[in-house]
Amino acid sequence: MTKRTSQSIRLVGKGMPRVDADGKVCGTTRYINDIDYKGILHGAVVRSPVPRGILKAIVPDAAFDWTGITLATAKDIPGINVVHMHDRTMPLLAEIGGEIRYRGEPVGVVAAKTPELAAEAARRIRLEIDELPPLLTLEEAVAIFKSAPGQLDTMKEQDIVKGDIAKGFAEADEILEAEYRAGHQEQLYLENQGLVVFPQKDGSILSEGSIQCPYFPVHELNDPLKLPPEKIRVRQTPIGGAFGGKEDYPTMLTGYAALPALKSGKPVKITYERNEDILFTPKRHPVWVRYKTGFKKDGTLTAIECDYILDGGAYLTISDVVMFRGILHCAVAYRCDNVVIRGKVARTNSMPCGAFRGFGAPQAIWGIESHMDAIAARLGKAPHEYRLQVHARPGDRTPTGQLLTEENGSTACLKLALRRSDFAKKLRQVSRGRLRKGQKKLYGVGMSFFAHGSAFTGDGEAKFKAKGRVELAALENGKPGVNIRVSSTEMGQGVHTIFTQIAADALSLDPAFIRYPMADTGLVPNSGPTVASRTTMVVGNVVHRASLDLKNQIEAFASLRFFQGAPAELRASQLVAKGRKPLPFAKVAKAMLAEVGSASGFFQFVLPDSIQWDQQTFKGDSYPGYSWSANVAEVEIDPLTCEISVPRVTAVIDIGRVINPVTASGQVEGGLTQALGYAVMEKIGTGRNGLYDAARLQTYIIPTALDIPEYDVKFVEYPYSFAPPGGKGLGELPMDGLAPAIANAVEAATGRRLRQIPITPEAIFEALHAGKKGTP
Amino acid sequence: MSTIKRTWKVNGKSVAVRAPAGRRLLDFLREDLGLVGSKEGCGEGECGACTVIVDGEPVVSCILPVGQLPDGTEILTVEGIEKKRAGRLIQQAFVECGAVQCGFCIPGMVVSSYALLCRNPKPSVQAIREGLAGNLCRCTGYTKIIQAVKLAASRLPKRK
Repeated sequence: MTKRTSQSIRLVGKGMPRVDADGKVCGTTRYINDIDYKGILHGAVVRSPVPRGILKAIVPDAAFDWTGITLATAKDIPGINVVHMHDRTMPLLAEIGGEIRYRGEPVGVVAAKTPELAAEAARRIRLEIDELPPLLTLEEAVAIFKSAPGQLDTMKEQDIVKGDIAKGFAEADEILEAEYRAGHQEQLYLENQGLVVFPQKDGSILSEGSIQCPYFPVHELNDPLKLPPEKIRVRQTPIGGAFGGKEDYPTMLTGYAALPALKSGKPVKITYERNEDILFTPKRHPVWVRYKTGFKKDGTLTAIECDYILDGGAYLTISDVVMFRGILHCAVAYRCDNVVIRGKVARTNSMPCGAFRGFGAPQAIWGIESHMDAIAARLGKAPHEYRLQVHARPGDRTPTGQLLTEENGSTACLKLALRRSDFAKKLRQVSRGRLRKGQKKLYGVGMSFFAHGSAFTGDGEAKFKAKGRVELAALENGKPGVNIRVSSTEMGQGVHTIFTQIAADALSLDPAFIRYPMADTGLVPNSGPTVASRTTMVVGNVVHRASLDLKNQIEAFASLRFFQGAPAELRASQLVAKGRKPLPFAKVAKAMLAEVGSASGFFQFVLPDSIQWDQQTFKGDSYPGYSWSANVAEVEIDPLTCEISVPRVTAVIDIGRVINPVTASGQVEGGLTQALGYAVMEKIGTGRNGLYDAARLQTYIIPTALDIPEYDVKFVEYPYSFAPPGGKGLGELPMDGLAPAIANAVEAATGRRLRQIPITPEAIFEALHAGKKGTP
Repeated sequence: MSTIKRTWKVNGKSVAVRAPAGRRLLDFLREDLGLVGSKEGCGEGECGACTVIVDGEPVVSCILPVGQLPDGTEILTVEGIEKKRAGRLIQQAFVECGAVQCGFCIPGMVVSSYALLCRNPKPSVQAIREGLAGNLCRCTGYTKIIQAVKLAASRLPKRK
């Protein structure tokens, strides 16, 4: 406990240890599969064995003993067979006569006493399907786009237009055009998906499990389950990693488990093992992006034209918003008056893609940051000098016309990253395809520079109005304290800790008095999903303001009850009034709980009127704030085997005020490591059979402790006054820019630009020996 | 499948084992003994979340059939680590260094770190990286985990 008597509590900015760490290091934290549920059934999903066709019949094996097994199919859906998501097109289960659109699309759910029996029962169901030819990959879709654009099957399209692109190209001295590709990426949270649905006596359901956004199932399953939001209650168990992977998908899983639960009247648990989790849950969208840029001899960018196509999979789900975030990051970091960006979500017969840290931005930044190096090379400029020349800074307008204010630390990030990494000097040592004297490996250094918009895109926060409460309550130890009641979930990123710090400071209360119970839609107001780098900035502000509200109430109570009306202040866990003996918070809180009941402070987020957005034209302020970063990566490549290693990475970051430097740098190191995997290791695609081709940990390779670089992470604390205590979004930013920095370093090392990630040793080998016959 | 009847020592306590020989050690620990601190992340020995110490050696318990472990086998899980001095030092260092995020890999990480410090009380950074190479973490980027193991090692009492 912090010992302070007179000074205020000041925890924001300090590396307070995590509030949930003890249980995690001792192994006492109970994740969904550690909880011993009694009397439940275990569910298994029956899936289509083909990627496309018309479902004709569902035939359970007559020779199998179906006693005690519940089979739910589309016929058992109480309401309309459609999950809301963003366009109300996706059925919860494929139905007879309907079209199967991807391999593994759920057709039924069986529930039995053991997981083994449920799995066996699922295998005993034969599906009769009239197969249709599938379109499996983004590559096929892009081929259609190139030959006959009108025939591309898109689920959503959106353009951004600024200035006059024709004029921009006319003014250009040179034009450079190139395509960049990236494949799927699996979130690979260490804890697989899992939840339990409990049917309630009043016909409602309770879903409990590893769920990143508890309010999503509440508002997405009303049609199929024929339940209003108040009859779908969702609560979080400790989440063993999510990274977006448990954002949209647990809605589906809740729906799958709910059907046999409602039919049998018994709780149903569905938990995936790793193979099923990789095969049949959403991934990061593959991207194809083409940049055509015009520039003058002095480097001035006169035109940026961009086509950005995501593989959405078989249904839109949430891909429209992923594409929006993507196109908003395609050219946001550079000065250019004439910009056209055309975004599309292509439909393929594959598992729908979904949320993964970055949400479309890493794909966009992968393209533009590779391309900026290519432009610099064409101009004969060093990549860092060119970025210093043309990067966006306060006073500039983004492609949607948003004015960047003084509260953007873009230039500071860029300059400090170059200085800390000694970039200019290292650039002189790069190999460019030929070992220099003393080098045993091809050496390269590369960089990237980028922004990440914090919070919901456009006017999302204005419409959403996040709510939160901070309430006086009896804690689990019987003592009076304060509960933070918001729907932001702890999934490892540290929100329970930083919100405890924010509440402690606002209340001036020792954190020992503060609790942050797991999100439960029956108990917390809707502060929105834990996504979009919005939690610290938006919900952190809600917690701060709600805490101030509660503080006022406590002080007013203390003033009347204990100080005969003299103004009281809650300071350092004491109520103080001039000329009076201070009273401990616990005493006042106890009296308040007894006499007033559970008082609570409340706040609802409001976006200032100055932030304007037009969703129709995609013009205006696309985000309430931007975080900035510059990354520098160094690579070494074995000239014979083409094995690549990344020994050092520098990341300089502006996220406004850093609430907790330890959890913040932990987010950065972790995000950079996921980006490292994206850049050089994690390879997964849709095979000819419609299944992902690397569906186990033996084949889907992520970085280990032996693969990670030495990280130099530095924050530049640019003030951000918009939402006290002043933190901007951090979660996604570290995932955004390392892949192009590595690709740029690979180009410096080998003299070859690779335009597809992951950049595996095989890909480097092919690039180095392209056109040559045989092995060297 | 044949049933084995054996006596092991788990976290210092004698345990009568009666289980099918092919039962996975991880299932036996979690389901029969209720020691759910060890996690299953992949079921094929790749992620290390199920790491426990068997007769002094770290093993992945998700691919180890109980039939392979004879009478007298000594097993240490994350639940038993806390009672060991080095174990407690490691846990404290993990908390202090911010080495924990979602926490799902952490029991395995703590166990592997303990095994490492038992055989090499003053490991280099490279030795720590190698000692933890069998434990995947998707959250932290390993940097703070490596720092934590280094810190714990620096606090170990010197051997005479």
